[in-house]
Amino acid sequence: MRTDRVPGLALVKGMWFAFRQVLRPKVTVQYPEVLNDIAPRHRGRLILLYDEAGTLKCETCFQCAAACPIECIDMGGVDTRNRYHVHWGPAEQYAERREESAMRRSGRPVPDRTFDPFGSIDLAPLDAILAAEGYRPRRSLAILERTQEVYGHLPVAALQHVAHQTGAGYSELYGIASSYPHLRFEPPGSHVVRVCRCTQCALLGGGRVLAAFCEHLGTDVGGLSPDGAVRLETTDCHGESSGSPRVEVDGEILPRSSVEDAVRIAAALRANVPQGQAA
Amino acid sequence: MRTEPTRIRSLDDPEVLVQTPATIYDAVPPLTPRTEREAEFYTLGDGEMFVNLGPQHPSTHGVLRVVLKIDGERIVDLDPVLGYLHRGVEKICEHGDWHHAISNCDPLEYAASMFSEALPVLAAEKLLGLEVPRRAEHIRVLVWELNRIASHALFIGWLALDLGGLTPILYGFTERDEIVEMLAALTGQKLLFNYMRIGGVNGDLNHEFLSRLGDWMGRAGKHIDGQATLMNENEIFVNRTKGLGVIDRETALRLAMSGPPLRASGVPYDVRRAHPYSVYPELEFDVPVRSEGDSYARYLLHIEEIKQSLRIIDQVLQRMPDGPVMAKLPRLLRVPPGRAYIALESPRGQYAAYAISDGTDQPFRFRIHDPSFFNLQAVGLLTPGHLVADIMAIMASLDPIMGGIDK
Amino acid sequence: MSSLSDPWKHLSTSGKIILPLVALLVLGTVALTVLWVVGIGPQVMQGLLDTAGANIGILRFLAAATGVLLFTVPAAFVIIFMELKIIAFMNLRIGPNRIGPWGTLSSTIHGLKVLAKEDYTPSGVDVPVFTLAPAVVYLAAVLTLLVIPFGPGMLGYEMELGLLYFFAVGGLGVIGLMMAGWSSFNKYSLLGGLRAAAAIISYELPLILGVMGVVLLAGTLNLGTIVENQSGWFLNWYAFQQPLALIIFFIAATAEASRTPFDFTEADSEIVAGFATEYSGMRFGFFFFAEYVNVFILSALTVTLFLGGWNGLFDIDPLLEAVGIATPVSLSLDIASLGPWLMAIPVLVLPILVMGLTALVWMVKSSWGFLVSLIVGFVLANLLIVGALSIWALFSFDALMGITWFLGKSFALVALFVLMRATFPRVRMDQLMGFAWKWMMPAALLNIFVTAGAILIVKELAG
Repeated sequence: MRTDRVPGLALVKGMWFAFRQVLRPKVTVQYPEVLNDIAPRHRGRLILLYDEAGTLKCETCFQCAAACPIECIDMGGVDTRNRYHVHWGPAEQYAERREESAMRRSGRPVPDRTFDPFGSIDLAPLDAILAAEGYRPRRSLAILERTQEVYGHLPVAALQHVAHQTGAGYSELYGIASSYPHLRFEPPGSHVVRVCRCTQCALLGGGRVLAAFCEHLGTDVGGLSPDGAVRLETTDCHGESSGSPRVEVDGEILPRSSVEDAVRIAAALRANVPQGQAA
Repeated sequence: MRTEPTRIRSLDDPEVLVQTPATIYDAVPPLTPRTEREAEFYTLGDGEMFVNLGPQHPSTHGVLRVVLKIDGERIVDLDPVLGYLHRGVEKICEHGDWHHAISNCDPLEYAASMFSEALPVLAAEKLLGLEVPRRAEHIRVLVWELNRIASHALFIGWLALDLGGLTPILYGFTERDEIVEMLAALTGQKLLFNYMRIGGVNGDLNHEFLSRLGDWMGRAGKHIDGQATLMNENEIFVNRTKGLGVIDRETALRLAMSGPPLRASGVPYDVRRAHPYSVYPELEFDVPVRSEGDSYARYLLHIEEIKQSLRIIDQVLQRMPDGPVMAKLPRLLRVPPGRAYIALESPRGQYAAYAISDGTDQPFRFRIHDPSFFNLQAVGLLTPGHLVADIMAIMASLDPIMGGIDK
Repeated sequence: MSSLSDPWKHLSTSGKIILPLVALLVLGTVALTVLWVVGIGPQVMQGLLDTAGANIGILRFLAAATGVLLFTVPAAFVIIFMELKIIAFMNLRIGPNRIGPWGTLSSTIHGLKVLAKEDYTPSGVDVPVFTLAPAVVYLAAVLTLLVIPFGPGMLGYEMELGLLYFFAVGGLGVIGLMMAGWSSFNKYSLLGGLRAAAAIISYELPLILGVMGVVLLAGTLNLGTIVENQSGWFLNWYAFQQPLALIIFFIAATAEASRTPFDFTEADSEIVAGFATEYSGMRFGFFFFAEYVNVFILSALTVTLFLGGWNGLFDIDPLLEAVGIATPVSLSLDIASLGPWLMAIPVLVLPILVMGLTALVWMVKSSWGFLVSLIVGFVLANLLIVGALSIWALFSFDALMGITWFLGKSFALVALFVLMRATFPRVRMDQLMGFAWKWMMPAALLNIFVTAGAILIVKELAG
């Protein structure tokens, strides 16, 4: 029967065709029980490659990060003789370093915290953690989290030790740790105050708030207060506009901030009064 | 209430932003019209209203915002707003090498990215006067036609999905999956292949690719026929697309359309035949042409093009010569100064580039002519007078890809 | 007490309502038990029994309404699961297969997910209308289940005007859709709501006119009687006497339920979710549920009117007698015969059973956590109740077979709806309306004339 003679026949034929597909094998791949074959030339794996001798191919030459048009490559590494820790990141962090160098050139004292993470640490608790996790690199995230619980942050020496003991690369662990916001590379100060320095907040008086903090905490941007209780930092724009500059105290964003608030908070922090929900 | 009409101020002017109270009642904020057309569009008649077919929409083929002025269900006028996917590709191309331009131009037509990669490659080869090895030329044609089939399979799926059918798109993706897996075996990636190189291609055919290709070629024809039965004669589909969005010859030529929409309107223009490049002069294939110019004709044309592409792949595989797959080039490529215009036939139409080189290793200017950009103009001409539901059918049948439109 | 205030603070709003009610329920049960034990129970119970016995009709109706409401949820879950899986199979996919064996619990999880979503009211909406719209749509769908015969004698409420009640109440859904479309402060919703109103109302006519042929043949609007008229051999079904009406009714039902190819109201690719764009969480869940319940009731009505209702393909009683099985006491499930104790059933049995089973499951498998145990307990409770009812119905074979045939046929039609959804694109608004007014209505009228003429002729010939 010609489908254009009988109205509705094409519809029925279509339904019958679709119904027949129920009996055909399904094309779904039941990941993760079944893994799809990956072509040998596939270059989509986000891992660093090793050559036949087991040496890491990546030389941290930064060419990929420099070439990337959208600056999505963030690299970090330690050189083979443990001399220096290099970090190449997106442009926001360039701005921080430019700011830091500009402040140095202006004669202000800027604390150089670069070599803080490199001190040696007691590795016994770390050995215990590794033994408990069985030295498996698949458990890297759990290992890193437990390391942070013990040490308060992830020291470079700890990362190196984990890398040596588990066989995972330092850069892999660095990559894992930098993907998660709850893992940090620097020791937490007892309090951290972060003031946004974007244009919007600056128009709303952020500069004055920052200056108030600097004065009353007795430190400059990026530094610790004299008793080491409070660290003052600046951050990038987060896109929120609440009518006043964005000030973050220990991770809590204040609903409003002004110079008086800055003075009050600075005094409270230095007197070590815990700041709960902002008043 | 509003700023003085004599002074034209942009909405980005902070003063205007602060003065204008933002209300929740404006789907389209009150705009100081800058041109006559804007003034005509943004004046509401009686009973008309603005509806945003916003950038986030399930069927605008990417991020395209269309401001519709509708009267009930009927569209009175429309104003497309482009630029949501603009990435500054042409500018970025000027800052890198000619080789970098390949991976920069990849995501322009992401559904069939071999064509967009080929733009800087062919332009550089023309400027250098380079002769590409024969084997590389054949591999290029093979890969181009595979991409064409993959893109057309997706087109059928999108057209059905925009009209409400849930099944054909999954069949289209099944087809595309197979093609894309074999291209991953060849190039290393499934979507943005980065396979074309100036002087050839990156890497020879390998066993995995050829075995997958052979497997697939045995099944391809039957699959396509089967999928076509689901939609070709389906009364609902035919009633939705027949007679819809008719573009006549003169309008199509005036709008500089190309590709299937042009050929469906009766103009037998195919760049592979009109300005032959690569191996196409030696291959036998037909250029399907239809004269009705409606959405149904465009749909049928895409199906016929798939069949022609299968023919081409057959011939290319039989003729594949031996030899190198890439010409010898210096490490630092200094392209001699000059200008070059190259044109390809991509699944959407004539994909062209105009490259100006100033003798250094960076392009001085790389202008990309994208077919979807010109095909999309037809939407503005065709849609007024139809219903809201029809704009989907028309847009889908023109097969736009926003990556290329916004560059 | 500070030890209670912290957990109380963490409860959501609905939690703050439900928890005191549950506590009240438990306390009430305990109080009743204590009263009974103490001895004044019998007198209290006698007084209650007298009152209840006097108002048995109301109580029966309450039980029927509760039963209907409780039935819609599992029915919708099953239909949602069917739709996901069948469409997936036709798309060469597998569909949900992780939660529960072969994905069967995925609908439950969808229901819980919808409950857990943030439920907000956008600014600018007309709040009372916005809040009530989902309820209207849901009720319009659910109330119609009262008159559909699930088995011999098993109607929620036997009405002489059952069919009229069905269409009257079912048509209230349009008001709900328009309320949703208008009150959401959104042009897409407005478009969707108006489209829905226009299309559903225009398809009500073919729907009802198509049924008139069956009404003429049966001579009554009582759905139970219509099904009984179709008993015996399957050729007695009205589908064979009114094929055109069946086709018209089915197409109109597809439009009524807003299913593809007529799902203009929620055309995903055009107006993002139509009238339901601004709804989230359980409000959207109500629309969702109502659509699937609509699908079920329209399938059920098609089965009732045209495909024999709860009748099997042929009458099995003569076969059973020939084999020697005397069908036992044909005890149709008349809820009124239970007496006043039926008060206890909807109120106490189900929650207590669920909680008991949850506790049991959680004690056995404490690694599962409370929520999973609750789900498993609910499923087990349902299985227990269905099992108990089935065992009871075994003593009434007719009822069991009736329900099985009815549900089987209904879900087969639902599967047909799903098949249509998978294959067809959408019909455009004006084509849809044109089809309704220019083709369906004249065809339905033609059907009525021919049927009436045939009845007259047959009566004349019969003398």
